[in-house]
Amino acid sequence: MTQPIAAPASATPEADTSEEKRLGLWLTLPAQLLVLFIALFPICMQIYISLTDWSPLDGIPWYRAYELWIGLLNYVDLAGDPRFWSALWRTCIVMAICVPVQFFLGLGLAILFVDDFPGKRVLYSTLLVPMMVVPAVAGYMFFMLFQSGGPVNDLLSLFAGRPVTIAWLSDPDLALFAVIVSDIWQWTPLMFLILLAGMVSVPQDQQMAAVLLGASWTRRFFTIVLPRMKTIIIIAIAIRVIENFKVFDNFYIMTGGGPGVATETISIYIYKVTQQELIWGYVAAIALAILIVLSIVSALAINKMKGAK
Amino acid sequence: MTRITLENLGRDFGEFTALANMDLTIADGEFVALLGPSGCGKSTTMNMIAGMLEPSHGEIRFDGRNMNGVPMAKRGVGFVFQNYAIFTHMSVRDNLAYGLKAQGVGRAEIARRVGEIAELLQLSPLLDRRAAGLSVNILQRLAIGRSAVVEPSIFLMDEPLSNVDAAFRAVMRSELKGLQRQFKQTMVYVTHDQLEAMTMADRIAVMDHGKLLQVGTPLEVYNHPADTFVARFIGAPGMNLLPGRVTGGDGAPVIDLGAAGHSGALRLEQTGDILFGFRPEEVVPDANGPLAMQVTAAERIGPRIILHLAAGDHRAKVVLDGETPAPQQGETFRFSVPERSVRLFDAQTERAL
Repeated sequence: MTQPIAAPASATPEADTSEEKRLGLWLTLPAQLLVLFIALFPICMQIYISLTDWSPLDGIPWYRAYELWIGLLNYVDLAGDPRFWSALWRTCIVMAICVPVQFFLGLGLAILFVDDFPGKRVLYSTLLVPMMVVPAVAGYMFFMLFQSGGPVNDLLSLFAGRPVTIAWLSDPDLALFAVIVSDIWQWTPLMFLILLAGMVSVPQDQQMAAVLLGASWTRRFFTIVLPRMKTIIIIAIAIRVIENFKVFDNFYIMTGGGPGVATETISIYIYKVTQQELIWGYVAAIALAILIVLSIVSALAINKMKGAK
Repeated sequence: MTRITLENLGRDFGEFTALANMDLTIADGEFVALLGPSGCGKSTTMNMIAGMLEPSHGEIRFDGRNMNGVPMAKRGVGFVFQNYAIFTHMSVRDNLAYGLKAQGVGRAEIARRVGEIAELLQLSPLLDRRAAGLSVNILQRLAIGRSAVVEPSIFLMDEPLSNVDAAFRAVMRSELKGLQRQFKQTMVYVTHDQLEAMTMADRIAVMDHGKLLQVGTPLEVYNHPADTFVARFIGAPGMNLLPGRVTGGDGAPVIDLGAAGHSGALRLEQTGDILFGFRPEEVVPDANGPLAMQVTAAERIGPRIILHLAAGDHRAKVVLDGETPAPQQGETFRFSVPERSVRLFDAQTERAL
């Protein structure tokens, strides 16, 4: 404090001396630790439980689960669990159908909505309604729609000219089709919303410049609009891939994962194992495996995004 | 290379008239600057020439052909946007080749023409660089090159220097003028900066409130402004305009300027109220001069001194060179205005007499 000030305070970043940095670290440390704790505690707990054979029915608290230590046995079981692998595979199929369909529908709608037309606002609001429906309610809606005496069959009867009674939700292939339709109905609006935001933000003068250089609509779309939307497209697809991995509500309500395991996705499988079989150590192992898969997906998306910059 | 004719051109936006009754012919290969303050209709005019905007009335003709309703892609117009609108996600080469590719020119031909234009604009070493992050003068050359490579007959530029810092503007001005000489295209240049218009344009079209006020060479516009707006707008500082009254009968009429004195003897036909105009640079300090005003401020800017003068309701500015002994603030400055420097305007219509 008694030292004279040697140099005038400078506005450059170099003014941050290491001392100031250290002080900053100490001041923010409690908050950082708290965030770290909140983020990491469940994961650490999960890793811990996954290495044991613990179940809430065993009568010992979770932190003493080490008494039931079984090492990597849960993971070995998981690797050889055909129901796990089929649920994972089914989730991937659902994703591989839902995400592209939602993307192209959303992109098409965004193209239609980027220019003004009469009635745009009303139509726009209407299109966003499915996204706001509670997924469980959407599940019940589609459950009703796809009943053998339901509106879908009624509509088909109208076209076929004779009564159609397809048992949508009890046929393994058709049930998967039905749940996929419900997911597309509910989440295309989100894709549309994100893609429209991206499309609107493409600089108008660049498109104008391209027009003046004689570029057709198609050429402008593929050389200016799409490349400029790259980041937002990656974000939209990544969100839907991750969300699709976690799909549960409407699937569970429409089919309960059935018939048999025909629509059992990874979330439904985890739920069943937890609620019905109560082997929590095993569930922790599955959840961890999924977390790792999703982390890889996110990392790939972030990597792509950096490339797009 | 095309002659542009604007005939009775106008554009309304609802109740608002952005441009009214514009008549202007721009000769083949001519560089015309549309000059005026914000909202004067200069950009509206340019957007209509480009085809981005349809006129509410009147006609645009290129070499006599009516362009109304012709889509902008078919007009053969090169447009350099205010912020250049460079495709920053592409390389310099792809930017330059964009127009040629869009027009279906063959690969070899594209490579040749892109190479040529890059050479001309000194962009060759940068061809494979991404356009993002290039400096602003390179972006400007790239924007010009991208438009020029498709060989438009008309070049339109919308305030291309407004994003550039003042020191760099001088460099860019001479560069632009040089490029226009090389390309020999008809050029329409929109600006609110009179220095750009004065230094680059063959002719200046001064506009205000949707009206074309005067068209002429930079010197004509400077020396013989058509009305008081042009007189004030051109020049830095603009022309002094003092309201006065012709007195003195047939023998030696003078303009009585009240508290500021009088104009000195002039050959005049007018009588009654009049606006007495003179350029701040053309004032002669004169201890016996007929004009006397109080110095309210004296700004010394390098080699020049700008005196702010007041007398009664009259305000004026005078520019003296640094050598002249200048009066201090509060003193009275006596001066005369040589008769050849006097510009007179009608007190009612504000038009030049």
